[in-house]
Amino acid sequence: MAVVEAVDLRRTYRTSTGTFRRRTLEVEAVRGVSFEIREGELFGLLGPNGAGKTTTIKMLITLLIPTSGTARVLGHDVVKDAREVRKRIGYVFGGDRGLYERLSALDNLRYFAELYAVDPARQKRRIAELLELVGLTGRERERVEGYSRGMRQRLHIARGLLHDPPVVFLDEPTIGVDPVGARELRATIESLKDAGKTVLLTTHYMFEADALCDRVAVIARGRILAEGTPDDLKATVADRTVVEIEAYGVSEAAVERLRRVPGVESVAVEEREHAQLLLVQSPQGLELTRALLQEVDGEVGRVAAREPTLEDAYVALVTER
Amino acid sequence: MRANLRVFFIGGLIAYRGLFNWISPAYYIPTMLLGPIFQILFFAYLGRYSHSGSDAFFAVGNAVQVSAMAGVFGMALTIGGERWTQTLSPVLASPANRLALFLGRALPQIANGLFVSVVGFVAARLLLDFHPALASVPTLALVVVVTTVSCTAFGLAVGALGLRLRDVFLVANPAYFLMLLLCGVNVRLDALPTWLATIGRSLPLTHGIAAARRVAAGAPLADVGGLVGTEIGVGAAWALAAYAMLRFFEAESRRRATLDSM
Amino acid sequence: MTYLRIFWTGWFFQLKNLTRSGLFVFTSLVEPLIISTLSFYMFKAGHRPGTLFYAALGAGVLGIWSSTLFGSGGAISWQRWQGTLELLVAAPPPLIAIVVPLAIATSTIGMYSLTATLLWGKFAFGIPFHLVHPLLFAVAVPAAVVGLGLFGLLIASTFVLYRAANALANMLEFPIALVCGVMVPLSILPGWSNPIGWVLAPTWGVRAIKRAALGGDAVTPILMCVGLGAVYVVLGAYFIRIMERRAMQRATLSLT
Repeated sequence: MAVVEAVDLRRTYRTSTGTFRRRTLEVEAVRGVSFEIREGELFGLLGPNGAGKTTTIKMLITLLIPTSGTARVLGHDVVKDAREVRKRIGYVFGGDRGLYERLSALDNLRYFAELYAVDPARQKRRIAELLELVGLTGRERERVEGYSRGMRQRLHIARGLLHDPPVVFLDEPTIGVDPVGARELRATIESLKDAGKTVLLTTHYMFEADALCDRVAVIARGRILAEGTPDDLKATVADRTVVEIEAYGVSEAAVERLRRVPGVESVAVEEREHAQLLLVQSPQGLELTRALLQEVDGEVGRVAAREPTLEDAYVALVTER
Repeated sequence: MRANLRVFFIGGLIAYRGLFNWISPAYYIPTMLLGPIFQILFFAYLGRYSHSGSDAFFAVGNAVQVSAMAGVFGMALTIGGERWTQTLSPVLASPANRLALFLGRALPQIANGLFVSVVGFVAARLLLDFHPALASVPTLALVVVVTTVSCTAFGLAVGALGLRLRDVFLVANPAYFLMLLLCGVNVRLDALPTWLATIGRSLPLTHGIAAARRVAAGAPLADVGGLVGTEIGVGAAWALAAYAMLRFFEAESRRRATLDSM
Repeated sequence: MTYLRIFWTGWFFQLKNLTRSGLFVFTSLVEPLIISTLSFYMFKAGHRPGTLFYAALGAGVLGIWSSTLFGSGGAISWQRWQGTLELLVAAPPPLIAIVVPLAIATSTIGMYSLTATLLWGKFAFGIPFHLVHPLLFAVAVPAAVVGLGLFGLLIASTFVLYRAANALANMLEFPIALVCGVMVPLSILPGWSNPIGWVLAPTWGVRAIKRAALGGDAVTPILMCVGLGAVYVVLGAYFIRIMERRAMQRATLSLT
């Protein structure tokens, strides 16, 4: 039985704009998302900002009512049986908010432990264990307002695990965290899987999904574009070559021309400090480098060809539809 | 009232443009209209129970106070939200702009204050034993405007100090309470200990309220000329003090190289 | 799930949280002190010295009410802004069970106001402090705190659906003080307003405190205050469920 089941979830937002003449706009953030997560899996929802990841996860954790579609966690419907779902899940989100600033980490954890009905006799030990797990031992009596982003994240994870939930939802847990801290966080997330928990992770970091997840669903503009193991997704572009062209001051028009070169599947432009990195995907075997270089205006630096990564697969998925 | 004002301005109506561009009735009506009306009623009934004054005494006192406080808070928050390098330094630098800028910011506060007090007076007229002669209305309006202007000038000083201390409310809230207590809003100055009454007389609003009370009771403008003049004088003095403070703080911030951190 | 534990933990937690907010404590202390000073001078000017203690008690209760309004009116909005509201909703217990202790903690802070006002009256104005029924007083004060806190919760839960909730809630300080006879007895208010006062807990809370201090039947008001509080919890639970549902539909649980 699937631990988490989403069936054709949809969510529309109504927003209004303007001060005097208010107009209402309807935005479809999630347009028919379906997937299943099996027990013990670390499932990734990967997509750019605004893809609908947070909206999807909030529907699953009972904080948002879907416009249509259903979802079940451990067999309980997220709308009709919200309370049963809430008892069994942990929710961790990124960012600075969500903690009581003027109180210590210990106070925060004690409060939430009570809300999640952690047995009073075991609370102290459980909190100590979790502080150890996330590496905050020794700093738990300090006020949260003095915590760095990384420390807050770790405290959030501790909070989410207080009642030892079988399912954990992580919404962009490493966002805004320094690289070292992020690496530690990822190690902690991996240990969750080792502990047998089922985890849903949303992220827009491709390498994170690649490193941590058993399976990944790529979501963009409210729809799931592809689903599979990281290797499966890489395989969709496995028959391609990626030509990296370092260009200085390449124009939009040139990029457009590149896209129209016969054989080119996609062109992505990455802004570097004084240059742009053009990533051109094309089928393996086609020698397009010369044709490509002819279209690029401005100066050209390094040119290299390599095998595609998950990131390229992601780019391909997101831009080519 | 102070709580209403704080919420009102935190609600986003701080900037000069903001005050009239996006007043939402949902904010404005409870804060600026209903709140003051209830303040007037609260003190009027307290006055009735304590036998310490007529309805007219409390009606005029509080109606003028609410408009004046709108001026104080409005100006204080406008200044207090500034950053030195952006607006205030240029203001202090060029003589031509100063008055224009002050007026530019003050006018909406003054207009708002006048409107609020009109509503307060009308409510008092309808709900309490307060019957000013119709003939006294124009003079009353004049006194209210003068008082609001002088309180707006006081608001400059409050804002300046608040800017320096990096928290406008740290100065504005105590100022509100001091004025409520010491400016004769609900207690006559002669009922206060001398030292408190003296502080009260050096604040704006005090003489304005005294004048307004006389006018509401039927006195012509000529009779209250002295009080009105004093009120203007007090306001002007505070404006000068505000100017001096701002220049001092600016010089100090240059010395300490904390220009942008204020 | 023991709601009693959630109550005590939440109450103490929020008490700690609020006490550490300088602004909140300042507001709880300064306003009642000023209002009480004003009323002392007013009562003195009116030559009714016997009523100064009455005024002190009223001003103290006004302080409790002021804290409650300031805290509760903004409580849900503040939690939303802080990002913790959605965590509270996501927690298993019904939201009302979580929010009740928070509301009562807010009015408990008002105890600072009451104490400060009475001390101020005693030491700055020489008002004699003599309780006719000291034991009942000790019961009346917590009863009033609970009644006012739950009333604040009811207000917060009805208003939170509207963006301008803050403005609306803050404006209620004086009207409620008037209608509930906090500073002046109901008898001098227009007759038609009295029934409004009778269904509001603060009326009974302040009556309980004043009668316990100055003499009279304090037991009935205590019971009425707590009884009405219980009614407010039921009503509040209803409104909070509506709010929660709407927020989940409109996705406003975590909007700043």
